[in-house]
Amino acid sequence: MKQVIMLLKPRLWSFKNRGIANEGNTRFFLFAGIGTIFWVGIFAVSHRVLVYFQKVENFGDILAFKLLSMILLVFFSLLIFSSILTSLSKLYLSKDLALVHALPVPSEKIYFARWIESTLDSSWMVIVYTIPVFFSYGIVYKTGIFFYIDIVLTLFPLCIISSALSALVVLLAVVLLPASRIRSIFVFLGLAVLIILYISFRLLKPERLVNPEAFSSVLFYFKDLSTPSSPLLPSTWAFDSLKAALTGNNSNAMFHLALSWSGAFFIIFVDIWVAKVLYFKGFSKTQAALVRLFKTQSKGFNIFFSFLDGPVRAFIIKEIKTFWRDQTQWSQIFLIGALIVIYLYNFSVLPFEKSPIKTIYLQNLFSFLNMALAAFVLTAITARFAFPSVSIEGNAFWIVRSSPISIRAFLWIKFFIYLFPLLILSEILVIATNMLLNVTPFMMYLSVITLFFMTPGVVAMGIGMGGAYPDFVSENPSQSVSSFGGLIFMILSAAYIGTVTILEAGPVYMVFMADIKGYKLTYLQWVWVIGSFLVAFLLSILAVILPMKFGEKKLVVFQR
Amino acid sequence: MIYLKNLSKHFGNTKAVDRLNLHILPGEIFGFIGPNGAGKTTTILMMAGLLEPTEGSVTVDGIDMASQPEEAKKRIGLIPDRPFLYEKLTGMEFLMFTADLYGINLENFSEKAEKFLSIFSLLDRAHELIESYSHGMKQRLIMSAALLHDPRLIIVDEPMVGLDPKGIKIVRNLFRELSSNGTTIFMSTHTLKLAEDVCDRIGVINKGSLIATGTISDLKEAAQIRKGDLEKVFFQLTEEKNDS
Repeated sequence: MKQVIMLLKPRLWSFKNRGIANEGNTRFFLFAGIGTIFWVGIFAVSHRVLVYFQKVENFGDILAFKLLSMILLVFFSLLIFSSILTSLSKLYLSKDLALVHALPVPSEKIYFARWIESTLDSSWMVIVYTIPVFFSYGIVYKTGIFFYIDIVLTLFPLCIISSALSALVVLLAVVLLPASRIRSIFVFLGLAVLIILYISFRLLKPERLVNPEAFSSVLFYFKDLSTPSSPLLPSTWAFDSLKAALTGNNSNAMFHLALSWSGAFFIIFVDIWVAKVLYFKGFSKTQAALVRLFKTQSKGFNIFFSFLDGPVRAFIIKEIKTFWRDQTQWSQIFLIGALIVIYLYNFSVLPFEKSPIKTIYLQNLFSFLNMALAAFVLTAITARFAFPSVSIEGNAFWIVRSSPISIRAFLWIKFFIYLFPLLILSEILVIATNMLLNVTPFMMYLSVITLFFMTPGVVAMGIGMGGAYPDFVSENPSQSVSSFGGLIFMILSAAYIGTVTILEAGPVYMVFMADIKGYKLTYLQWVWVIGSFLVAFLLSILAVILPMKFGEKKLVVFQR
Repeated sequence: MIYLKNLSKHFGNTKAVDRLNLHILPGEIFGFIGPNGAGKTTTILMMAGLLEPTEGSVTVDGIDMASQPEEAKKRIGLIPDRPFLYEKLTGMEFLMFTADLYGINLENFSEKAEKFLSIFSLLDRAHELIESYSHGMKQRLIMSAALLHDPRLIIVDEPMVGLDPKGIKIVRNLFRELSSNGTTIFMSTHTLKLAEDVCDRIGVINKGSLIATGTISDLKEAAQIRKGDLEKVFFQLTEEKNDS
């Protein structure tokens, strides 16, 4: 154990020194503020839901307990998914592993130290943001202190079990496949499962439950609700313990708690035993260079982009090739693909025909809101691809700095590289959803034109903020979106989208109603319409220029 | 070719480089030596336009680095001490990227790229990803890329780090050949034997200040040493400075 603690010390010291190197409190307070808002929001929603359930006669407790069981199952699945990715990184891909493996320490102890780090990294956020849900149960059910102690004592073994199971899967998988490829495979599989689950859930049409005609299915639904989950699942042990504590059956709660802890210790024992045999073998295999999956011809790209200026062509080709060859980027594509599939699917199943509000009005209202929604999807995609595009230069950024290309030109080249694909994607998204909604030509033109002017603004914010807050040393720059700069970009982009939407809402409603009811707009109304669109247009121009200038100013200072 | 005037860089209260004055002629091979932390890399970064001086100026081929950085950089080939590259490109693709960046005529590209890859014994591995290269191979690739646009000034930080004996020999001969054709080479190194062998003049920097400049005999005179090699001169000069 002494060696394991020794291996964990650099991490502890780095954490301590991070506090010393802290330049200011702004970042801390910003993150803490947003985190607290989320925390309070989760608590408020879950408390409200539970209070509502309590009012449902006979079924209140069944619904609350079923919800608790589902939360624990989702909690467990999330932990498994995040632990697989974290443990893969910690055990096989971290840059300091070569140094650590050179130490006179048995490989299973290195494994154990790394596994502890991985467990903490993958679990803390899930725990922090599920605690308010469990707290709301305690408050609604007016439990004693034992329930709150039980929450902590139950969540710990659940985290340990999920992390140990994930590490075990990773230990076995790395012996068969290269570690960097496994990451893409797991992300792909995870997202595929997520989409399938989501679509199956939608196909069940839970909204039928509010329809009295479907009452027979409601009975089946409640019958299903009272069916217990599999006793082999660790989330069931946690659920049984928490349920017992909620109902005041403390001895039963202790029994299930003991079941969880014994399961946790057993799986740790199995892990260490397997690690003793397989960990170094897998690590050694990871050191071998990867064979390229696809080979592309260098000259093909050069001929295709020959009409472009040299530096622009250089960066475009470099960006495309790096993107396709870097398998860590593939997971981003899977993620975005899942987001788009779910987004489009939701529009295809909107039940307009059953709404009491006039369909044409509702369809166009949705189309208007969809503009903002598509812009938010665009923000998410920009955050994943354009925002980290400066950081992705990494340690090789000296090449840009020493080349005869100014930082301004470099940022603008990056802007145009990402603008065109993102513009095409956002237009396809908005046109496809409008077609699914069957909107009027006016709304179609409005959406297409608004997105055409908003996309450059969002992309410029991504590139500008990415340039202002680069992270050239991160092992995975695509995760820089969760940094301070990423957060600033998200906030700015949301504010910009919100402002443009508000500016357009009034005039669009007026023009749309005038069209439906067949009256003409007055002179003053026209002034309002044109004025609002003009302000939105000017805002879009500023949204391009200002972030790019800010990014340039900060990046020039950063390099010096 | 290169003119450093009162060049200084301060990091907080630390004077990394302090009022450095230097004039290097075209075709000259200038060696820059000094102990760790003396200010060699900081000077190089300022010369290459990667770091803004706190005071003073850098002029390359008559062009001021502060006011016309892009023009000045076109004339420089930088070879840093650590070979950080775009790992997901092949060697040949990286050279093509560099050619595009420096506006090299693509008609001559293949011929030129192959010439340098061949000089540095990389031609066989030109179409493999850089991530599969060894440290020394990456260093050789950076050298090929730095020479691709026929720079008038080559700035090298620790040229021999990671190179095998064959690589060292190639670089040594190449520097001599380039110098005879009028290319200026500014070389920071800890390999005193190399500096002694190839440099026309040597500058010794310690604690941010240039403490001696000149030919080997000039330095011996400054260190008041009649017999002995550059190593002896180096220790004499730097230890004298440390004592004072």
